[in-house]
Amino acid sequence: MKDQIGGNQKRARFQALCQSLRPDLLRFAFWLSRDRALAEDVVQETMLRAWKAQDSLQDEAAAKPWFLTIIRREYARCFERKRFVTVDVDELVAREEPMLAAAEEQNLAEMRAALFKLPDEYREPLVLQVLMGFSTAEIARELDLSCGAVLTRLFRARKQLRVLCGEDTSMDPQE
Amino acid sequence: MMDCAQYRRSMLADPHDPDPHLREHRESCHDCTLYSERLLRFESRLERALRVDPVSETPSSSDNVVPLRGRSRTALRSPAYRKRMFAMAASVLMALVVAGGLWLSAPGTSLAADVVTHMREEPQAWRRTDLPVPDPKLENVLRDSHLRLGAGGGAGMVSYANSCGFRGHKVPHLVLQTEAGPVTVMVLVHERSPKPVQFDEQGYRGVIVPVPGHGSLAVLTRGSSTDIETIEHLAHRVLDSIVWTG
Repeated sequence: MKDQIGGNQKRARFQALCQSLRPDLLRFAFWLSRDRALAEDVVQETMLRAWKAQDSLQDEAAAKPWFLTIIRREYARCFERKRFVTVDVDELVAREEPMLAAAEEQNLAEMRAALFKLPDEYREPLVLQVLMGFSTAEIARELDLSCGAVLTRLFRARKQLRVLCGEDTSMDPQE
Repeated sequence: MMDCAQYRRSMLADPHDPDPHLREHRESCHDCTLYSERLLRFESRLERALRVDPVSETPSSSDNVVPLRGRSRTALRSPAYRKRMFAMAASVLMALVVAGGLWLSAPGTSLAADVVTHMREEPQAWRRTDLPVPDPKLENVLRDSHLRLGAGGGAGMVSYANSCGFRGHKVPHLVLQTEAGPVTVMVLVHERSPKPVQFDEQGYRGVIVPVPGHGSLAVLTRGSSTDIETIEHLAHRVLDSIVWTG
């Protein structure tokens, strides 16, 4: 009986954890896939897998990287299962119009459009750093890269983003 | 000695990098100080742009942890998918019954739990940095709550300041770089707390202290390396530094 109560409490705690992380996971999946419907599918599958594997999460503090790893795998699986049509970035921006229109400022919409145009290998570490608060070492672990490679990608990501956003880059360093 | 190109390359890779060599260079180079300020403004815009609002960001009471909306039609037709969803729905239903029972026996969502949930939403605020928030930004954030920080800066340098939505009100959310590491402060002028509350949940440890006539103040740290007495001490230092203007 005591074990059952303990198990129930653990499940309830896990559910609360999922709820608290879900917005960030959706954001991460969105920036990974650049597609809201696909992001929701990926997060849904992630939650399903996480639910089944919840016993393997020993430390709640490690929940976020644990979920992100599942999301990245699930997103990769989408590519294994399905052949995606390529879309023009301008079309993509237009498709996300409702969300962009909701942005409080026009320059945020411009920044988001620029983020869409970044290559995946630059956008992903940038999202992990800025949105998820990961350190360079944590990003390196998550993406299976060296810290040096992560820093290079972050440098290139911001450099390209600044150009795309029409920032004054005259003081930016060369590679 | 670091040169300007090295400094700017490092800043572009991580604008909040607390490396003392970067600080040393910045303090000795006017151009790089300007560059950093511009880059941080850009970074702030980037942070806001990334925080898109997913449609179902705030699940309604009828939602559960596994979102049931947004499935593609082809996937919904798959028998394997339906079978999995049925199995999962049974598990989720059971969990909801349990969670419902726990919820009914609990006094309701506590202020501390809401503060912790909010912290999880803004992980970028916790970065260790030696860059202070520009004074005009800090003043803007504090002005709406009718307060300012007195001379001396209270418990530490303010490295993050944002006006955040919390329980239907805009409240100042600050991060102070203290000797105990980054400490978050939320000034909750609309939330009265009859007595001091200590909490330690979901990886956050902190206190909520009543502020007579001005609601309450939440002060918390991430992780368990800072003891609760130190956090209480920091909370009182912050309180002492607040000047109420209304």
